[in-house]
Amino acid sequence: MRRATVDRIAPPVYGVIDLLVILAPAVTVKFASDRGGLGDTNGVDLLLASMVIGGLHATIASSRLHSEERIALRRADMWIAAADALVVLTLAASILPIVVLWGFADEHASMANGGYPVVALWTGITLVAVILAECTGRVVFWWLEPHPRTRRRTANRTR
Amino acid sequence: MSGLTRRQFLAAGGGAVGAAASGAILAGHVWPLLNKEDLLPGTSTQLDLQPDAWTTTPDRLTFAAIGDNGSGGRQAMAVADRLTQTYRRSPFGLVALLGDISYYGNFADRYHDVFARPMRSLIEAGVGFELAIGNHDADLRHSNEGLEEIEAELRLLGTPGPYYTSTHGPADFFYLDSSVPGVFGPGSATQWEWLDDTLAASTSQWRIVALHHPLYSSGRHGSTIAARERLEPILARHRVDLVLAGHDHHYERTHPQNGITYVVSGGGCKTTAVGRSTFTAAAASILQFLVIDIEGDRLDCRCVRVDGRVADQFTLRARQKQ
Repeated sequence: MRRATVDRIAPPVYGVIDLLVILAPAVTVKFASDRGGLGDTNGVDLLLASMVIGGLHATIASSRLHSEERIALRRADMWIAAADALVVLTLAASILPIVVLWGFADEHASMANGGYPVVALWTGITLVAVILAECTGRVVFWWLEPHPRTRRRTANRTR
Repeated sequence: MSGLTRRQFLAAGGGAVGAAASGAILAGHVWPLLNKEDLLPGTSTQLDLQPDAWTTTPDRLTFAAIGDNGSGGRQAMAVADRLTQTYRRSPFGLVALLGDISYYGNFADRYHDVFARPMRSLIEAGVGFELAIGNHDADLRHSNEGLEEIEAELRLLGTPGPYYTSTHGPADFFYLDSSVPGVFGPGSATQWEWLDDTLAASTSQWRIVALHHPLYSSGRHGSTIAARERLEPILARHRVDLVLAGHDHHYERTHPQNGITYVVSGGGCKTTAVGRSTFTAAAASILQFLVIDIEGDRLDCRCVRVDGRVADQFTLRARQKQ
């Protein structure tokens, strides 16, 4: 496939994958409650929260990849950083809810009964996962790319 | 590593290891937990009920039975809310708890989350609760801590012991401890002898046995064959009418086995898949509980879904007692 075509297709595809990864835990929870017979509205709040955050982050991740396509000195750096960000997002978006909800079941039960909305907790967890992934993508790309000093050193060594 | 710098190799390798690890962790642990557990916190029912609204006479009794409801989560609260609403329409003075009333921690610590809050309206209305101990009601089986946990649980619920009998209207209830020490551990023979003697002494028209582990189940855990082999001859000999159990997170009713109908009602807060066996009369993987009306020699049982619909109903006639 031609490079220009890849550059055009990759960012939106990456954004869609990003969105699906963020949506997956909420969809699973929704399926579980539907299967149990809880009704259509149960779990929709979490799904909506994940959709909003996922939609926003898909846009951010897609434009990150798009801008890296333009500034990357080595295209491999961009792909590696993007893949690492996706791995971190997958792990964080799925494991964090389990750790937070299972590990602090008592605390959350008290808070929920005190009127604290569960969707706020879910949103917070998802945001942390998204921030971790976004930082990973940007830091890894920055770390991989040659910087002016590295470039000079590489040039000296070559001379 | 031709073509890759050291940093690229590290970052790509880290990513690959992370991807492999996430695949294993997600498939093995995270997705099954998200799919099966009731981890999201829920809010308890706000309904107020008329106290002592039920009618229990020597000829008549209405009671509910619920199993595996101990998460304190959203689904547990929804089922408890439906149970509370059901009381409004058809009041009952007793709830038989079929075990596993506390997940994710011990009962003493989680008493308010898993019992007092979800059942608040029923407790305030004066409804009685009787427990058949489940395997999650003491995490450390065989240990002193486990036994202390069970004792604390029984004290909090006002239950007399790990296995006991009670009489309500026309029915005698026999609650068994089917946990590992209770069924097979040292001293388990005492429980079976007690059951044999107590059933022999029973004079009520109806004999209902409640225990956590199902003798017949087509669910994830399946039938507890070893317990069935020890228990079924005793139940058949004393012409027990109905056996209620939990453990598997679904609803299932058997065709009468040696005259006894067995019901699994373990959908108190989470669900797992259920198949069908030759003994299955009805089965569904749903959040549910049972409401049972006894009038004279007739027993009507409804399996009520969390959305209020009836998933299954059946009628029994009291067996002729010897």
